[in-house]
Amino acid sequence: MKREVNDLETVIGFILLGGVVVSLVVEGLGLLDYVITLGSLNIVFSPEWQTGGKDFFVYTWSVLASLPRGVTPVSLIGLGVILLMITPYLRVLASLIYFGVEKNLKYVLITAFVLVVLTASLLAY
Amino acid sequence: MVDVLTVLLASVAAGLLGSLVGLGGGVVMIPILVLLGVPVKYAIAASMVTIIATSSGSAASYVRDKIANIRAGMFLEMFTIVGAILGASITSLIAEKVLYFVFAGILLTSFFALRSRPPPETLPVVEQDRLAKALRLGGSYYDKSLGREVSYKMTRPLAGGIGMFVAGIAAGMLGIGAGAFKVSVHELILKMPPKVSTTTSNFIIGITALAGASVYFVSGLVYFDLAAPMLIGTTLGAVLGGRILNRIASSSLRALFLVVLLLVLLEMVYKGFTV
Repeated sequence: MKREVNDLETVIGFILLGGVVVSLVVEGLGLLDYVITLGSLNIVFSPEWQTGGKDFFVYTWSVLASLPRGVTPVSLIGLGVILLMITPYLRVLASLIYFGVEKNLKYVLITAFVLVVLTASLLAY
Repeated sequence: MVDVLTVLLASVAAGLLGSLVGLGGGVVMIPILVLLGVPVKYAIAASMVTIIATSSGSAASYVRDKIANIRAGMFLEMFTIVGAILGASITSLIAEKVLYFVFAGILLTSFFALRSRPPPETLPVVEQDRLAKALRLGGSYYDKSLGREVSYKMTRPLAGGIGMFVAGIAAGMLGIGAGAFKVSVHELILKMPPKVSTTTSNFIIGITALAGASVYFVSGLVYFDLAAPMLIGTTLGAVLGGRILNRIASSSLRALFLVVLLLVLLEMVYKGFTV
């Protein structure tokens, strides 16, 4: 029992650190690409830099679908934000699986509640 | 017009200062962005995304060191995420003027929280209530300064949950971690030991920020060209701060941060009256 809890901590630590590092690297590359291709550093607040009313999953799909056509600063930086937001989400998902394997019903319900609320808020507003 | 480099440098400074005094960077970064001409709602939304990076990054090491209490974190997250979604929804709808005053209020509480010295690290004696027992809220961690394993218990999880709901509203509404508020709830209501409370709060802040960010994301308030330099800068600053934490006198730092808090507080009140 004690050992299993330690395993969850290792997995969660790995997900959190890995997710943040990968997303920061992608954001860094995106910014670099931004400066090189646009030759400007101004933050413009134009519609291409936000989601345009798409929910998280639809937006993620649109970014992923655009990648085969070539990487742009917008898609790279968008991808970095997606990777970052998915990090804590994966952490909750991993915990749910873990508590399920442990057959810990109370914590399965608690974690499932968190996951459902997060999914709903990512889906629609 | 604000540019990427300015935001990057300001974020490094805010992240560094924030991690050195134990408050997040968001609470000073948002007023700085407003000063640079960024609309306050965009600043709040970008800050909310940034907090996912800083809190997840630092939570990773606390979790692996087995100091943060994951069970308590999971339980309390149920309350903070609902609060954060509510808070972020309110911000998406209300007038900017109101936000400036609410923000000023939060800055004032941060100011007083930082001015009062932290209490000594003593372990409270805890009589667990039924729910705390049922949820098996308690645990142990290895205390490096004491050189031994420390066991502890918690109590009153439901009252703590309500406190965390309120913290979630503040966090979601203003794009901040509301860490100081969360730590107070952990220590005063749930009776967590200080080391466990700060690390568990960090763990919870990542999920709370995601809940708030998702609302801003869909409502189109998150501008990625603003968020990108912010999250890189703030994380770099926080990592740097963690490395030099033990090497500088903390009293002069606190004084510096208090001055910064006071300045941004005045700025937010001024904006509230003039916008």
